[in-house]
Amino acid sequence: MRTTFKVAMLITLAVLGAAPARAHHSAAGFDNTKVKEITGTIKEFQFKNPHSWIQVMVEDEKGQQTEWSVEWGSPNNLGRQGIRPSTFPPGAKVTIRLNPMENGGPAGGFVGAKFPDGKTIGRWE
Amino acid sequence: MRRTAAALVWAVAITAWLAARPALAQQLPDWSGVWTMVGPTVFDTATQTGKGAVTTPGVREHPPYNAEWEAIYRTHLDLRDKNRFPDTISNCGVPAGFPRLFNLPDTYEFIVRPEQVWVLTENGPNILRVYTDGRPHLADQWETYTGDSVGRWEGDTLVFTTRALKGFRDKDVILDRTGLVLSDKAHVTTRMRKLDPATLEVRMTIEDPVSLTRPWPVTKQFRKQPLGTRVYDYGCAENNRNPVDATSGKTLILGPDGAVLNK
Repeated sequence: MRTTFKVAMLITLAVLGAAPARAHHSAAGFDNTKVKEITGTIKEFQFKNPHSWIQVMVEDEKGQQTEWSVEWGSPNNLGRQGIRPSTFPPGAKVTIRLNPMENGGPAGGFVGAKFPDGKTIGRWE
Repeated sequence: MRRTAAALVWAVAITAWLAARPALAQQLPDWSGVWTMVGPTVFDTATQTGKGAVTTPGVREHPPYNAEWEAIYRTHLDLRDKNRFPDTISNCGVPAGFPRLFNLPDTYEFIVRPEQVWVLTENGPNILRVYTDGRPHLADQWETYTGDSVGRWEGDTLVFTTRALKGFRDKDVILDRTGLVLSDKAHVTTRMRKLDPATLEVRMTIEDPVSLTRPWPVTKQFRKQPLGTRVYDYGCAENNRNPVDATSGKTLILGPDGAVLNK
C-alpha cells in the first residue's frame, strides 16, 4: 500500500512536472513568455506559505555577488508532490530556469532546476 | 388493551421523531477524503472549458452584468492588466468569502453530518457551514464574507441557499482575480452531488438584483485525491512576499530584506 502510494505520488509529480503553482497571488511582474537561466549557490530555501522562495547567490564575471529570489508554489502543494525543505540545500550549486521580472530585477518565477549531478526538478527538457 | 394503546402511542411518537429528523447518517452520501478543484481559479465558463486562460483576451463569457456593473468589471479588468487590481486575500487578513470559497486552489474536505455540512478549504483556510437541521435563514441576518447557508438533502444531493453576503460593498470580497464582484444583495442556490466516486459537482445559481440581469449558473467540479493525501496549515502571513501596496493597489514582489523588487 505504501509502495502504491509512493508510486502514485511519483506519477503525480511526473505529470505535474512540479509546475509553478503560484495560486495565491498574481504572478504579475514576471514575464511568463521568457525563460532566464541563472547558476549559483543556494543560500536558503524558504519552504513557507503562501509561496516558497529559493534564494540563490549568483556571481557575475567581476566577482560581484547578487542574491536572486525565485518564487515557487505553496509548500503544501509542493510537499504533496514530493518536494521537501531539503530539496534545495544551502551551499549546493544549482542552475535554475525562471520567468524573469519584467524590470530585469533579481527575481523570477520558478520553471525548473538542475543540480551538478544531473538531477532535475520541475520543467527541464 | 391499555398496553396495546401505549405501544401504539409509543410507535407513533418514534415514527414522528424519525420523520422529523433532517436525515439519517446512514442515508447520507460519502464525501470523505481530500479533494481539489478541477480547472483554473476563475468563474468564467470559457476559461473552464479550455477555450483560453484567464488572461487570454477575447474568450471570456462575461457574467450577465447590467451596464453599470459591466462598466465596473471593465475597470477591474483594465486594472488587472496593469497589476493594479489587488487580490483581496493577498494581505492575508480576510476570508475568501462565498461563492469564491468554491474557487480556490489547494485541497478541500467535505464533512457530512445529518445536522450540518462543513466545507473546509486548505487555502485560507476557510470554512463554509451549511445548516441542514431545518433552521431557516435569519430575517435580520447581517452580511458577512461567507454569508448564511441553510439547506436540505434531496436524495444524494445537498441543496442550499446562501444569503447575507457582503459582496464588494467594502471592496474586500471578489469572486476571482479577474475582478468579478457582486453586490451585497447577491444570493446563491447551490446543488452539490457526487457524479462518480471521484468527482463531486457543485452547481451554483447566482442571483443579484443589483448587478445581474438574469440568474448566472456556474458549475465547479472537484476531484478526489489519492488515499493518504495530507492537508496542511496555510499560514498566509508566514512569509507573504507579495503584499498589496495600499496606495497604488499594486501587488508587490519583495526581496529577502523586504525591499520592493518590482518598483
